[in-house]
Amino acid sequence: MSVDLSNVRNIGISAHIDSGKTTLTERILFYTDRIHAIHDVRGKDGVGAKMDSMELERERGITIQSAATYCNWKGIDINIIDTPGHVDFTVEVERALRVLDGAVLILCSVGGVQSQSITVNRQMDRYNVPRISFINKCDRTGANPERVTEQLQDKLGLNAHMLQLPIGLESDLEGVVDLVTMKALYFDGENGEIIREEEIPAELQDAADEKREELLDAVSMFSDDLMEAMLEETEITTDMVKDAVRAGTLALEFSPVFIGSAYKNKAVQPLLDAVQYYLPCPTDVENLGLDLEKDEEEFPVSNDSNDPLIMLAFKLEDGRYGQLTYVRTYQGTLNKGDTVYNTRTGKKVKVGRLVRMHSDEMEEIDSCGAGDIVALFGVDCASGDTFTDGKITCSMSSMHIPEPVISLAVIPSDNKAQVNMSKALNRFTKEDPTFKTFVDHETGETIISGMGELHLEVYIERMKREYGAEVEVGAPQVAYRETITQRADFNYTHKKQTGGSGQFGRVAGYMEPLEEGEYEFEDKIVGGAIPREFISSCDKGFQKSLKKGTLCGSPVTGVRCVINDGAFHAVDSSDVAFQLAAVGAFKEGYMKAKPTIMEPIMKVAVEGPSEFQGAVMGSINQRRGMIIGTTEEGNYTVVEAEVPLSEMFGYSTTLRSLTQGKAEFTMEFASFKPVPKSVSEELVKKYQDEKKEK
Amino acid sequence: MGKEDLVANNPLQALGLEKEDGNNGRRVGLVMARAGLGKTAILVQIAMDSLLRDNNVLHVAIGEGVDKTRTWYDDILTLMNEERKVDNFRQVVDEVMKKRMIMTFKENSFSPATLEERMEDLSQQGIFKADCLVIDGFDFTGADSASALGELKAFMEKNDLKMIWFSAVSHRDDDRVSANGVPAPCHELDEVFDTVLLISPEENDLRLKTLKCTEACSVDAGKSLVLDPATMLIKKV
Repeated sequence: MSVDLSNVRNIGISAHIDSGKTTLTERILFYTDRIHAIHDVRGKDGVGAKMDSMELERERGITIQSAATYCNWKGIDINIIDTPGHVDFTVEVERALRVLDGAVLILCSVGGVQSQSITVNRQMDRYNVPRISFINKCDRTGANPERVTEQLQDKLGLNAHMLQLPIGLESDLEGVVDLVTMKALYFDGENGEIIREEEIPAELQDAADEKREELLDAVSMFSDDLMEAMLEETEITTDMVKDAVRAGTLALEFSPVFIGSAYKNKAVQPLLDAVQYYLPCPTDVENLGLDLEKDEEEFPVSNDSNDPLIMLAFKLEDGRYGQLTYVRTYQGTLNKGDTVYNTRTGKKVKVGRLVRMHSDEMEEIDSCGAGDIVALFGVDCASGDTFTDGKITCSMSSMHIPEPVISLAVIPSDNKAQVNMSKALNRFTKEDPTFKTFVDHETGETIISGMGELHLEVYIERMKREYGAEVEVGAPQVAYRETITQRADFNYTHKKQTGGSGQFGRVAGYMEPLEEGEYEFEDKIVGGAIPREFISSCDKGFQKSLKKGTLCGSPVTGVRCVINDGAFHAVDSSDVAFQLAAVGAFKEGYMKAKPTIMEPIMKVAVEGPSEFQGAVMGSINQRRGMIIGTTEEGNYTVVEAEVPLSEMFGYSTTLRSLTQGKAEFTMEFASFKPVPKSVSEELVKKYQDEKKEK
Repeated sequence: MGKEDLVANNPLQALGLEKEDGNNGRRVGLVMARAGLGKTAILVQIAMDSLLRDNNVLHVAIGEGVDKTRTWYDDILTLMNEERKVDNFRQVVDEVMKKRMIMTFKENSFSPATLEERMEDLSQQGIFKADCLVIDGFDFTGADSASALGELKAFMEKNDLKMIWFSAVSHRDDDRVSANGVPAPCHELDEVFDTVLLISPEENDLRLKTLKCTEACSVDAGKSLVLDPATMLIKKV
């Protein structure tokens, strides 16, 4: 356990898909002696990279689930979260960023700043994460780190400057010139593990001098010492430059850029040095907790291991070692055997085992202190829960979790598959808050829902591979919602007399649209028109009705139900009678309240050469999309639009053929909006036809 | 308050903007202020007035991003709702947003020719045909700014645009002004504009002075509208 927090770095590695971040992490683990052989992501040896611990990840060569790992570089403890690159999995990226202090943004030297880099950068901005950039794949044909640095400035608005110059590029990449120490660095040995420091090659000296000047100009404003030395033309020391770069980076006003090729084992070690020098330690950043005793008043956590414990569970995994909970400790110390309190549930939990995770392997530890990222065994909780030692009642701010927007039916092939599927779904829903599942009682089908086609596809694959659950899947369905648009009264009597004790209940009141929130219930009954014990029955009845609207069978949201009158019978009234009365009342009011169907609208960003701007906008327009705006930067244009999800199936193929494969798009959920009348009529008809068939 | 009431109660009515629509010809307007005083807020309110009167507005932001520009509209709409309690606010927002498009350019990649090309593309495909154009961040200090303005005016005629509004930054240390009191760098371009508004801080108030206006305007030249310094909403004459 590290006591000195200045020697701890909690970092994330984020990037556009296929920028090589898993390869980079693999090299980092190798150079820090965590692993003793390098395996490539799509390697011929069939082992796969260390961080891609899921079989599927190794096969596809993409990272799906972030794995936490730990390494030590020159006495600095580095906790690394490897994060997925595809936009469907951004909840993983967001969770990682929530608990991290700094991040490395990986970019491809050819592809440059791509759509996902923009998304990831926006997420880093949201959580105020200081970042350094690593322009990877400088060995590739067409590599141009200078152009990528310009894109970091132009497209991401970062004050980005290169701290290195490449020595050769593409297949001639030999090493880098360090613009801080003004030395040339070469990487020898079978795996680039031997660093050879030399003088700067003569042909690069002028370029290096010029770039260093530019760098000093850019960072001098962050250090009085450096500024003074520059003005007085006295010696500028390496430490002065490093301190200035660090100050600018921590203030989120400067972003240092490093270059190399992880695959060719070039310049990974200087990046590790940069993590040490320029990224913050836990005490450099302010994290805020919410004091639950003071109406969620924000307070800064202390980062002190001697203070009462506060830790946040940011990731759950139910792997082969049992339930694992990844936690970030913000203050205090946690020892093996300690009892901690979940501030959400108020439950006490004993921490039996405490481990430091290294991808899918682990290391038992006895305690962890402020700033650490570790995993606990056998702790039942949800992702985002806060734990304390009971001396303090607080919660770390909640994480932004988007609502699922797409669903599909999964049908197990036999009984065995049914059992395995249940186990799998149970685990996935605990691990991933954006993945949800439920059984449609009318069809008996199990429905899974999530953030995109790929998101669900991956879980289906995992079900098959990890749990042996063979399932058939239905076509993806958009998660529609129903809501009401005006106030309507109801007055419904449920009466049933079939011999013996009957059922009687009358419920009257009104329903109205709710601006924010899903559902509200208000009891305005006076004079005991409905006895107290049956008020909650009315609420239950309304809530039952919300599960399936009458237009297209989708859940009803945004409704406030108010009851203000009713009647009961001394013998025949019961909980069930009032529930049924409320269901009837809801049905009566609902149709009068002008219900409408809402559909998920996605925020879509299409990025490509300007010559295709017209074609791209046309394709969005055809899909009922609303173009918000366009951003033109040189020959590149980004078209931003809001498009219904139902219209986005198969868009990647259309876009590819429209733009000769030169444009790409990302999308994320924006909001629910009413569907146009024609679509609404179609959905209602389809639902009615389906009902008739049953 | 309904959409129509929002238009009717808008203090911008004093400028007589609606009287120009499709009748007395077109209007070229300019909002000037020193940096940071709220030119974009005024342009967005002018654009909003036009949107609420069912015009299509193209907002061109030079040197700004789509998100930032969009936020201006969201904020102004929210403030208008807080102040005037709009009925079916969400619906109004949706209607307004469908009529607005934002186009952003880097400073060095904007030219009237590029804008014309983009707008024709949109119009030919039936995606968007602008009635009004708002250009925020146009460079009036450039040597070719007069000819660029000429091109934009010609474009306005050709495409039957009702209004083009510009913003320009004035500088405290440059005291050149036109006969109408239009400050540099637009003092020599005075003739191009039918309406010129200047945001000017006075004691505890921010004022929107009309330096130049058409006959439709009921605010006399030299008189001013008052801005709420907290919200930047135009308050009253």
